[in-house]
Amino acid sequence: MGLEVFWGHVMEESFRKEVVLRTNGLSKRFAKRSAVKDLNLEVHRGDVFGFLGPNGAGKSTTIRMILTLLRPTAGSVEIFGKDLRENRRSVLSRVCGIVEKPDFYLYLSAYKNLDILGSMTRRIRRNEIMEALDAVGLKSRAFEKVKTFSHGMKQRLGIAQALLTKPELIILDEPTSGLDPQGMKEVRELIKRLSVESQMTIFLSSHLLSEVELVATRMAVINHGELMVQGDVSELLGREATEYSIQASPLDAAIELIDSLPWAEVTSTENGKIELHLTPGHASELTRLLVTHGIDVFSFYPHRTLEDFFLRITEGTSEI
Amino acid sequence: MRLFWLEIYKTFSRWRTYIGFGFIALIVILTEVVMKLSAVEIMNRMMRSTQKDFLIFGNVLNGWFVTAFIMNTLHIHIPFLIALVAGDMVSGEATSGTVRFLLIRPPSRYKIIAAKYVTTLFYTTGLVIFLGIVCILPGLALFGSGDLIMHHFGKFGIVFIPEVEIPVRMLFAFMAAIWSMTAVASIAFLLSTLVENSIGPIIGTMAVVIVFLVIGNFPFDFFGTLKPYLFTTYMVFWQRFLDDPIPWQEIAKSAAILGLHSLGLFFIAFGAYARKDVKS
Repeated sequence: MGLEVFWGHVMEESFRKEVVLRTNGLSKRFAKRSAVKDLNLEVHRGDVFGFLGPNGAGKSTTIRMILTLLRPTAGSVEIFGKDLRENRRSVLSRVCGIVEKPDFYLYLSAYKNLDILGSMTRRIRRNEIMEALDAVGLKSRAFEKVKTFSHGMKQRLGIAQALLTKPELIILDEPTSGLDPQGMKEVRELIKRLSVESQMTIFLSSHLLSEVELVATRMAVINHGELMVQGDVSELLGREATEYSIQASPLDAAIELIDSLPWAEVTSTENGKIELHLTPGHASELTRLLVTHGIDVFSFYPHRTLEDFFLRITEGTSEI
Repeated sequence: MRLFWLEIYKTFSRWRTYIGFGFIALIVILTEVVMKLSAVEIMNRMMRSTQKDFLIFGNVLNGWFVTAFIMNTLHIHIPFLIALVAGDMVSGEATSGTVRFLLIRPPSRYKIIAAKYVTTLFYTTGLVIFLGIVCILPGLALFGSGDLIMHHFGKFGIVFIPEVEIPVRMLFAFMAAIWSMTAVASIAFLLSTLVENSIGPIIGTMAVVIVFLVIGNFPFDFFGTLKPYLFTTYMVFWQRFLDDPIPWQEIAKSAAILGLHSLGLFFIAFGAYARKDVKS
């Protein structure tokens, strides 16, 4: 490896490891209820960071504290290495986001909404607004009043306003909430594109594990206001997946083979589907074995519902 | 400055903002037309008590008199029109959810709240100026000009103001009316920062104005002692510019009390909003 290539790798690695957002013991109490407890998150530059948790777990409260809508009861937020409270203006000029559902001035056009919201950060040119609208597929509706927009269009307009000032960190609170499958897919693709093409760091909250799995590179799980786990998505989910479903033919041969393996165990069979428990790290090996034994595999997928994931974490059965 | 213009744009893009202007135009012009049609009857009523002691010549029912009459009648209603916009200025952003976009931007809450307050004052000023224009111009066109003869403020007697002095006195009276309405706008604005719906501040402001006016006008000693502490006591100080001689000292006192009132309310709103948790 040449010296230049070596330094290129070192620089790229240190760039990725730069902490863009850090919360230090972040806590919030509402009267007697503790909404967020001693939360320590770390988001690196270039991450698509999934912030996962069931409804009421404290995701929105955390995001509101990160974006200065709520005052923390204890702890602090650092963005780009600066304390948020002391450097609010300089920090927030490089951050943008959507908290809960995107609400706009319904009596104004999409263009004017972006103009007003963008102008609060810096002077915005007309072509920048049109570019942002184009990026989310709303250019043709630019001068229509937002009250005529569907929920999905408002969600996309929300992303457009987040992109407008070209922030380094975008915080999205449940960005696919309320969207139809096509809308969800479009938003996910947009997030991926932003991360790759614009090198933006994206922090997105969700209660859907599948969504985080599809777009995020790193994730944290929060429950009852407490951080349960934090790390690389592939690592966390890879370790977690132990329950699988297989549709294969002939079924009996597949069951016999699986039962003969020391690291696999059939738990049930129903409607031509085999449910099995697999020791982590053997998924690809099982697929290979099934095929080499002349068994056709129609589907093979892990059971990783958020509920299961949480249960494992909270019951302490996970190694994590 | 940019924040102020953004607030102005938002405020004047809503139809609600124009309700006040529409109401004033309608009610004032209607009143003036009715007064024109009933001119003889009005003159007879006006002169009934004075014609035994005074011999009055000239155009008594003129545009200036009509303006003073309408201002006297509407000074209870204008606060409601001001509260309609001022009460929605901050809480409206919470109701619509746009507050979540607004407060995550680089400008501090202090700057945002200051821009909104200045916009509220701008609207208040505009509304009172509009009232003046709608009263005076059609008033002079319909009734012509002349000297102003009015009842003496707080005394039994009449005041005579020569025609030549009236425009300047009216200018001061309208400036004083703007100053008074600023106190009303400040109440609505403060309430608007404390709640997350627009109805509360509008009703709350009107409740305060009405209760204070009622307390201030009760003929009991107990309420009499409270009167100096009620801002509504000073709200009609614009009328003193149509007095003779003009009581400058009393005007200055009223203006100072109302000014302190507005400033105090603004600073409470300022402090409350800066620390407020946005949960909507």
